[in-house]
Amino acid sequence: MTLQQPALAATAVAARPARRRDQSRLFQEVGMLAPAVILLTIFLVVPFLLSFWTAMTNQPLVPRPTPVRFIGFTNFLRIFKDDLFWTSLWNVSRFTFWILPVQCGLAFATALLLHQKLPFRNFFRSLFFLPAITSMVVVCVIWGTLFQYPTGPLNQVIGFLSGGHIQPIDWLGDPDWAMFSIVLLSAWQAYGFQMIVYLAGLQGIPDELYDAARIDGANALQRFWHVTMPGLRPTHVFVLVITTIQAFKLYTQVAILTQGGPKSSTETVVHYMVRSGFEEQKLGYASAVSVILFLIVLVIALLQRQLLRRFDV
Amino acid sequence: MGNRLLSFLVASVAFGGLAEAKTVIHVMHQGDPGWVSTYGEVAKRFEAANPDVDIELIYAPHDAYNEKFSAAVMSKQLPDVMELDAPFLANYVWSGYLQPIKPLIDQDVIDDMTESNVAQGTYPIDKELYAVGLTDSSVVLYGNRKYLEAIGARIPKSVDDAWTREEFEGYLEKLSNLDGVKWPIDTFRGYGIKTEWITYAYGPILQSAGCDLIDRKTWKSVGTLDSDPCVDALTMMQKWVKNGWVVPQSSGTNQFFAEGHPAALALGGHWFYAEAAASMKDDIVVMPLPKFGQKSASPNGTWIWGITTASEHPDIAGKFVSFMLKDKAFRDYAKEDSAYPGLKSFAAGSPLYADGGAMAVAFEQASKTAIARPPHPAYPIITSAFMGAVDEIFNGGDVKAALTAAAEKIDEDIEENDGYPPFDEQ
Repeated sequence: MTLQQPALAATAVAARPARRRDQSRLFQEVGMLAPAVILLTIFLVVPFLLSFWTAMTNQPLVPRPTPVRFIGFTNFLRIFKDDLFWTSLWNVSRFTFWILPVQCGLAFATALLLHQKLPFRNFFRSLFFLPAITSMVVVCVIWGTLFQYPTGPLNQVIGFLSGGHIQPIDWLGDPDWAMFSIVLLSAWQAYGFQMIVYLAGLQGIPDELYDAARIDGANALQRFWHVTMPGLRPTHVFVLVITTIQAFKLYTQVAILTQGGPKSSTETVVHYMVRSGFEEQKLGYASAVSVILFLIVLVIALLQRQLLRRFDV
Repeated sequence: MGNRLLSFLVASVAFGGLAEAKTVIHVMHQGDPGWVSTYGEVAKRFEAANPDVDIELIYAPHDAYNEKFSAAVMSKQLPDVMELDAPFLANYVWSGYLQPIKPLIDQDVIDDMTESNVAQGTYPIDKELYAVGLTDSSVVLYGNRKYLEAIGARIPKSVDDAWTREEFEGYLEKLSNLDGVKWPIDTFRGYGIKTEWITYAYGPILQSAGCDLIDRKTWKSVGTLDSDPCVDALTMMQKWVKNGWVVPQSSGTNQFFAEGHPAALALGGHWFYAEAAASMKDDIVVMPLPKFGQKSASPNGTWIWGITTASEHPDIAGKFVSFMLKDKAFRDYAKEDSAYPGLKSFAAGSPLYADGGAMAVAFEQASKTAIARPPHPAYPIITSAFMGAVDEIFNGGDVKAALTAAAEKIDEDIEENDGYPPFDEQ
């Protein structure tokens, strides 16, 4: 087979924009797709199929003298029968429910503030973004000290502000407070990312719209509701969906600060998975958890597509 | 070009050959910074004495040691020598990662081992020795003399007159009303809910109360861990927590000797003594663990050294372990850390544990009442399930339900592994 056309993609496309697909064009397309397809296959499809396969066996983490057997859906059935799994799923949902308004709200408010023409605003933008680039491990160690019971700084501040009326709170040791504490810390650490996205969204709204609204006599609040909010609609959807998916993967904070306790109140799906796989050395079981988590995240991603479509983005 | 490539290959093989002239021994270990630097110095001295050997230390953090070890197995990078926590020995030997160590270690070291040290390194199936250590371990009850005198508590001198459950709980209650005492006892919940501490230190309370984590003949947990004595023992501990008698997990691990001494008693490991005594001087009292039922029980087992089946130079690895255990500076550091002797010669040089020594009661206790953690390959699950149950219970969960769930989880794992043969034939 001989190539009749020069293989250089740019010249080929530029020279014959309306040309119908011929073989060489097909080769180019396949060629351009190939890297992505190969990488996705190696790093996404194959691992997923492998973990799906592993999930159907009693594969231990490290090789053992006893044979590895195919056990069908036993692991999945066991997971659904395990209260701890449902607790962890419930906890992650609770976390998501809290983190969405707290983190996105904080990010949105900061972005609105920093979108104004304030002095030093680049300095403030960097300052507020700083936690997001700080390692979560470091953040956890620092907040672990802040949360200390009963004499940690956070309790002291609250005690001082309330004139001693509010008793010290066992932030990480009380099952009623632990998840909330992790929400606080996580929101603080990560909102910088959403803030940047919002800032980009705000900058994407044309100034002309504001000018026009001003000429029409709209006040600041009206401009916010009728220009800013509609202009940010795709940004809102994007931020909410990304935050939800991230929230479902909650792990580091739990692993460092509470190890899933107290009373499983901070156990999360990923933490449950790591625990089954590494501590209890049940790789098959852990793989089954990972498959379930994948499906959950997949559903969220599909919902995202639907939402985005509805908003004509 | 072909020539150049060829000569490059030849050169690299030659250099590789040169680099390999030294035998490299990989040693995986955990430990706090003090121990890490001590190991480093031992390695340097060994290298000086054996110029053809290169000791490469691999540090793995204490809390994630077993995970790190699994990772090493998975990536086929098992070290030659590894430090291991004694209760995990059965799992490692059963899985085929450790080799019998007796032929590799100097005979005088073997002869020097205390009975409990031999016990912690022995695999129950073939009765072979797979690991040796300089030390063993125990947990005792520390008390603040001032507080104990203030409530008129009897201070036991030996395991035989240890506090009974009624006495102990009575004292806890009295201490809770004493000025200056914020918490009657520190059970070191601050170590977290996923460390061996829970199984290690609280397990003996179950054994003293008359039950266990798992039946050691049938290797079934249902009917043992969820039996009445265990439910009763953990209901008792749950009550301590509910009454506010126990230092909460989030308050750290030094409330016994923290400023103002907010905790009156401490159910603590032997390693805690050096630090506490330095700060409390004569106010520290060392007592045997209370007797919660018919008999006394205490834990044992610590971090010991084994040689893996992956080692290509097991004899040199054994030479290194022998060298380390005899190293004077190594022993001096261990002594400073109030390390619990596992070698007779080390015990002789540790007045702390000798008759009349401050920790003598710990030594007596271990020789009379120590019960090893279950030496079964399912131990990783046994301990993980028990830790989960304790966390649930300490935070107000239903005791019976939590223990039943843990026991079922353990049995399920054993069943899934066909009873871990040959353990199923015992």
